[in-house]
Amino acid sequence: MAAEPILALNNVTKRFGGLTVSDQVSFAVPRGARMALIGPNGAGKTTLFNLMSGVYPLDGGEIVLDGQRIDTVPSRRRIAMGLSRSFQNIRLMPHLSVIENVMLGQHAQASGIGDLLTPISWMRGGVWRRLAMERLEAAGISVHPDADVASLPYGVRKKIEVVRALMSKPRLLMLDEPAAGLNPRETAELSAFLKAVAATGVTLLVVEHDMSFVHDLCEHTVVLNFGKLIYEGPTRAVQDDEAVREAYLGSRRVETAGGSHAA
Amino acid sequence: MSGYATGIVAILCINLIFAYAIFVTAAAGQLNLGGAGFQAIGAYTAAWLSSNAGQPVIVTIPLAMVTTALIGFLISFPVLRTRGVYMVLATFAFGQFVSGFLLRSPTFGGAIGMVVSDYVGVGLLVAAAIITTGLVFFLMASRLGLAIRSIHDDEPVSTIMGVNVRAVQVTTFTIGGALAGLSGALYAHHFSFVEAQYFNSLLSIYVLLFVLIGGTQTAWGPLVGSLFFTLLPEVLRVGGSWRYVVFGVAIVAMMVLRPQGIVTRELVSRLSPRNWFGSRPAPAARLADGG
Amino acid sequence: MSDAAALGRPKPVIGKGVLIGLACAAAIGLAMLLGGRVITQQIISGLMLGSIYMTVAVAFTLTIGVLNFLNFTIPTLFMLTGMVAWGLLARGYLAGFGGAAWFVALMAGIAVAILASLVVERFTFRYLKTRHGDATEHAIPLVSSLGFLLIFEHLVLIALGSEAQRFPVPFKADIYFGGLVIGLPQLASLALALGIVAGLTYVLKRTRMGRALRTIAESPDTASLLGVEVARIVPIVFILTGLLSGVAAALFTVNYGDVSPFMGDHIGTKAIAAMVLGGLGSVWGAVAGGLIVGLAETLSIHFLGGDSVQMVVWGMLLLVIILRPQGLFGASSIGKGKM
Repeated sequence: MAAEPILALNNVTKRFGGLTVSDQVSFAVPRGARMALIGPNGAGKTTLFNLMSGVYPLDGGEIVLDGQRIDTVPSRRRIAMGLSRSFQNIRLMPHLSVIENVMLGQHAQASGIGDLLTPISWMRGGVWRRLAMERLEAAGISVHPDADVASLPYGVRKKIEVVRALMSKPRLLMLDEPAAGLNPRETAELSAFLKAVAATGVTLLVVEHDMSFVHDLCEHTVVLNFGKLIYEGPTRAVQDDEAVREAYLGSRRVETAGGSHAA
Repeated sequence: MSGYATGIVAILCINLIFAYAIFVTAAAGQLNLGGAGFQAIGAYTAAWLSSNAGQPVIVTIPLAMVTTALIGFLISFPVLRTRGVYMVLATFAFGQFVSGFLLRSPTFGGAIGMVVSDYVGVGLLVAAAIITTGLVFFLMASRLGLAIRSIHDDEPVSTIMGVNVRAVQVTTFTIGGALAGLSGALYAHHFSFVEAQYFNSLLSIYVLLFVLIGGTQTAWGPLVGSLFFTLLPEVLRVGGSWRYVVFGVAIVAMMVLRPQGIVTRELVSRLSPRNWFGSRPAPAARLADGG
Repeated sequence: MSDAAALGRPKPVIGKGVLIGLACAAAIGLAMLLGGRVITQQIISGLMLGSIYMTVAVAFTLTIGVLNFLNFTIPTLFMLTGMVAWGLLARGYLAGFGGAAWFVALMAGIAVAILASLVVERFTFRYLKTRHGDATEHAIPLVSSLGFLLIFEHLVLIALGSEAQRFPVPFKADIYFGGLVIGLPQLASLALALGIVAGLTYVLKRTRMGRALRTIAESPDTASLLGVEVARIVPIVFILTGLLSGVAAALFTVNYGDVSPFMGDHIGTKAIAAMVLGGLGSVWGAVAGGLIVGLAETLSIHFLGGDSVQMVVWGMLLLVIILRPQGLFGASSIGKGKM
């Protein structure tokens, strides 16, 4: 992997009041990688995602996406630069239908007033709708496209959010606990789906607690603890790392998840 | 058509355009309780241009719309710094200030009001209402419409999806201003008289009720809401005040039983011709279990 | 600010009250020195009127502060008190009470306002379940309260007619002080209004119920997690709302001697202005705002004429909203919605 990384964080720092939630975090995501971002609760994983997508500004450091600094770019422009994400608590639009939620993922591709004022169904060949339908099918989501998202089961909504994030044709897809709340069968399906996505050239950065899912999907892992980066390297070696073991000491998660992985 | 029926149609058309003015901002999640202020500015601009400057209707109505659009644009900046209840109050203050200003202003006849020279018949009102309805449906079907609706649901996520939230909100206030101005100008020309007392807080309240009872999720909402509110008093055969009591009870019951408004997106897609045959979206949960 | 200061004893509740009292006294003193008798008289009338606005504004600010709810029934609760009291007297139901009939009538009026407020609670909050927390959802109770506004106002019109009525003023006693006329009932109402507000502040700051209310204001979900029985505390807000609106109406009726089915509309909009001026959710802000609006009203009538009141008051308010959206005293995020 000699090529330039798709994403580089250099000394990213964020403070909330007196609490440093991200303390000089630096790591790089190689192009085309499937990377996991893990750490105990409150380690600052979601904060890091929020800093990358521009929910709040940095207090120090820089974030570089594909050679371009993005931390100074307004949040809404980052999706067009190739950065797309999902949310820890599902944030689908409750009053939009399934298909409308997915089509919203293509918003960043509209440029100019003329584009924005074109009725969606008048677009050549209904292209937004057609693409959205194709993506939903590819993800194995077979609900009615006009269904209310609020009425759908948790696992389906979680998947729809991933599909929405994919509609912007991202170069880097950031997923915040995509497997949380899914049953083992759904988790396995999601893992296979994400591998297929990554095979098309999309780099994945995944926050996840389910270590067997991480082991299955991600070859690289970075570990955060109290806002500090404590590990960066291959996923298979993460449990042998002294600092990581210490961070999780007393926390069942890694041990049991690791055990289930071994089994 | 009898004079009575014509009167109802005229009021319905003006109310409908006015409701769409408030709807466009409400669809993006901003509640405007100062609608009467915008309508008053439109009505008085048209009245003044017509009576004092001798301009024809072809000039007065567009200029009234431009004026209110500009005011909607300008007022959106301070108003958009506020949220929720505070925004309701900020727009309310704007409406109250405008009617207070007109009441005081000798140029606009003060408390006496103004006579408007040129008359506009009910035919033009109907045409304007149809065109407005068409344009709002068009807007809501566009990508901008999708962005508007997503802002209503979740501003931060809309931003991350690439929506320029502030620009869309300013746009909705501007369009809303223009439509309120249109309804005001038509009111002035049709009834040939404007007075500040008409554009009071109760009018702002009523038009917001049209929109919220009708539903803010689709462009059908204001249409159904305006029809409901304009025709219900006519249908109710009980006299005078009892009519309003029934009305109030209907509003309270509505908020308890169907707070999202009469028309929802889900209802529209269930009734849509596309779903008349084959699968229906309604039992979504069951479909999902199968999938 | 250090944590120790926040955890320490609460500041004396009287602080802001004394400040506002001193500001009023200073305004009167300054007017006497510079403006002469006529202006002083205007300022005194303004403060008296302001005491009515202030009491209603506190009712508004309490429901917004605790429940994030702009309660449009407050003006009709105000009107209900006055009209019910007049109706009871005029129909002779209270003849048995002799000279105290007016007082009994007003008390009954206040009781009706409280009951009506509880009916509103039943149908706005009891059944309301926020589902999505989206941008226009906070309007649901607001719309219900507009429905109740129609119901109450028109029920009164049906029962008691649309005419303005004369409420028999039981006593008339003016104090003459250096050539100034001060109505005794007016003075009493200012004192009573300030007393009620001070009492309310005490309740909010020092009692268990007050703590529960403030916890709900922060977050209803957290409050119920902490064991606050939200469903039992919320009606208390509505009882206080009815009480404050009713007392304000009783004071207004005694002072001005007029009641009408529309008496609440004017007072209600002025009280909303007072609340916004002071800052949403701030009790002392509402007090200061009420007095300022009262002063602005009498002074603009005096200097600019009767038609100018609406423009002056709401123009002032629009400026405050643009320049200082949190109001004069508000520092909290109340009414700003969640992320």
